[in-house]
Amino acid sequence: MMKNPANEYKRFQNTVAMTVTLITFGMLFGTLFLGYFLARFNAPTWPPVEIENMPKLLPFLSTLVMALSSYTYFKMEKEEEKRKTFWWATFGLGILFLVLQYVLWNALAASGILVSNGQVPSMVYGFTWLHAGHIVVALMTLLYLGRYIFRRPEELTEAKLVNVGKFWHFLGVIWLLMYLMLFVL
Amino acid sequence: MAFVEQHIHDAPTSFWSKYIVSYDHKVIGKQFLWYGIFFLMVGGLMALLIRWTLAYPGVPFPVIGNLLFPHTNGVVPPDTYAMLFTMHGTIMIFFAITPILTGFLGNFCIPLLIGARDMIFPTLNMLSFWFAMASGVLLLGSLCLPLGAAAGGWTSYPTLSTNLGQPGVGQTLWLLSLFLFGVSSTMGAVNYITTVITLRAPGMGYFKMPLTIWGLWLTAILNAIFVPVLGAGLLLLTFDRVFGTTFFLAGAAATSGKGDPILFQHVFWIFGHPEVYILILPAWGLVSDILAFFSRKPAFGYKMTALSLSAITILSTVVYGHHMYTTQMSPLLTQSFMTLTMLISIPSAIFFANWLGTLWKGSIRFDSPMLFALGVVFVFGLGGLTGLYLASTSIDLYLHDTYFVVGHFHYTMAASVLLGGFAGTYFWFPKMFGRMMDERLAKIHFWATMLPLNGIFMGMMMVGWAGMHRRLYNPFIYEFMHKLIPVNQFITFSAVAMGLAQFIFLYNLFKTVFSKNYPAAPANPWNVGTLEWQIPSPAPHYNFLEIPHVKCGPHELGNPNLPDGRDFQYQTEELVKA
Repeated sequence: MMKNPANEYKRFQNTVAMTVTLITFGMLFGTLFLGYFLARFNAPTWPPVEIENMPKLLPFLSTLVMALSSYTYFKMEKEEEKRKTFWWATFGLGILFLVLQYVLWNALAASGILVSNGQVPSMVYGFTWLHAGHIVVALMTLLYLGRYIFRRPEELTEAKLVNVGKFWHFLGVIWLLMYLMLFVL
Repeated sequence: MAFVEQHIHDAPTSFWSKYIVSYDHKVIGKQFLWYGIFFLMVGGLMALLIRWTLAYPGVPFPVIGNLLFPHTNGVVPPDTYAMLFTMHGTIMIFFAITPILTGFLGNFCIPLLIGARDMIFPTLNMLSFWFAMASGVLLLGSLCLPLGAAAGGWTSYPTLSTNLGQPGVGQTLWLLSLFLFGVSSTMGAVNYITTVITLRAPGMGYFKMPLTIWGLWLTAILNAIFVPVLGAGLLLLTFDRVFGTTFFLAGAAATSGKGDPILFQHVFWIFGHPEVYILILPAWGLVSDILAFFSRKPAFGYKMTALSLSAITILSTVVYGHHMYTTQMSPLLTQSFMTLTMLISIPSAIFFANWLGTLWKGSIRFDSPMLFALGVVFVFGLGGLTGLYLASTSIDLYLHDTYFVVGHFHYTMAASVLLGGFAGTYFWFPKMFGRMMDERLAKIHFWATMLPLNGIFMGMMMVGWAGMHRRLYNPFIYEFMHKLIPVNQFITFSAVAMGLAQFIFLYNLFKTVFSKNYPAAPANPWNVGTLEWQIPSPAPHYNFLEIPHVKCGPHELGNPNLPDGRDFQYQTEELVKA
């Protein structure tokens, strides 16, 4: 990757844009968390009866997968010679995360926790749907990046690599917060 | 970091690339202008239908009544009335005012006024218009559904907006349409914020930006932060309606688990209150500039005005609770929200006083942009002062559900924003189309708008103070309301007059844009020193052949030591000592 003032300035511009973008996504998820806290503080008991049978292992595995994908992305940024390998690893882990989410939703339904059972099951389903939707968008940005990594490496700028990474890591942090709120605490 | 200027893009050659999928911020700005005008007409017609029903309950709507409502012989039916005020509010706020103030003025002005060649992300800019277009099509499409469009009010509170309160697809399409519009606004906000931060011409510090840019930039910041909050609420309500979740369902609407309808109100107003400022900040910014330009003197207290606008932006984020006093929140919270809301009057008073200071002893030119800007000063004064009544908990409890609130928010949101939009359109028109609009028609348009406008909104506040409820199809079933029928008729006649006045604007606009052999406008018809007036009219597709270097502020006017008998200097000139 070439370093010249134009590229540096482009990176600065993209950093500003990505920061604003992440703030907007942060506000969307922040609103969901606000709803969660209002429900939790207003509930007479916690956890409510309807989430007693909540699966524990699947969300934990999802968290591990998400953390691992953040790590592989980090390595993709740092290790230029193994960039393609780590791209595949990150993309594969992203797909695996979506599969685990699908299995989780089926497991929830199988254990009698349906989407219409109340506010907490609504949160578990609704929040994870929205997060999964964002993962799909993140996978699309990875594909966009893959175009440069595999076909036009001379046009791959640090700004592209860093900004897609920011979005990927951001979704990891959001998932961690969701995992703690919905399945652990 | 050294400034790196944008490349000059190739000029578009085909009709498709020039006018449909254009990447040029000026064309996208014009697209938003036509879009906003179209929806202004649709929303305006709905307003007339509402007003007719309140002035003549049970009487068929003249001329097109039988065509629109054949089953009731031309009378607006009650369920349609609910749909009309829902769609009127939605269309005017999101699809008329926002595209004109933020979409059109933001797109057209930002690069030109900061000395840039285009927005930083032209493709994103183009996409933001087409997302808005898709959103508008979805909303208009919902009017054709068998059960009609949304009818839960523009706030769409559950339970009114749940499947029980509003069966049919109309409300769901409303939610999706607004979500798409939110995506469009967010794209615009990312573009505006980044463009202002990174593409200002060399030498243009934040306190050398025109106040129009301050207004638009702060609006974009509010958009970026708070539109996603509404987006979350819209998505959760969509899940409730489509997938059976129970985020906001309670009472009879909740067949199994139950949720919290008040939660939606929190989410809505966390967005909704900043939305007021999202709409009005661009108008305040451009009025601050126009008052200085047409008073031929520097804006009084420029920095304090910019800082006051910023302070209002910050305070606007923590006062949303004053929309919810009647939801029985704790007295401690109502008092906190009341105090914070009252605090907004301090920065508002500062910049309002600065406006008056700018006018004081100015050599005022009453050209059309100035007339409309002065109109904003007047109506915002009234709207702002009546806001103090509603900020106070004890008064709001009485007034909250009356037409006083409708009059107040129409003064602040509709009147000042509409007049501000006209001020901006008349002012930048020569730079947009290379021609001057007819000044005589513009002045007639101003007075024909301004007088009935006050008749409408002042009348609304009067009937509201007298106790007229704001959501009733026929308030006159109550005997004590009968004496208010003549006032309502006066309001309706004012509304018809104001509606007709807009045809003067449309005639002037279309005549100037489309008639042949119209004289070309000079590059700087208003004798103003900001950057856009140094390039030809209309602005070329690349804006600036050479990126300008800014050396002074935007309002250097009235200095007697200026050369060549000029009373203004360009921002690219060294400041002449007064």
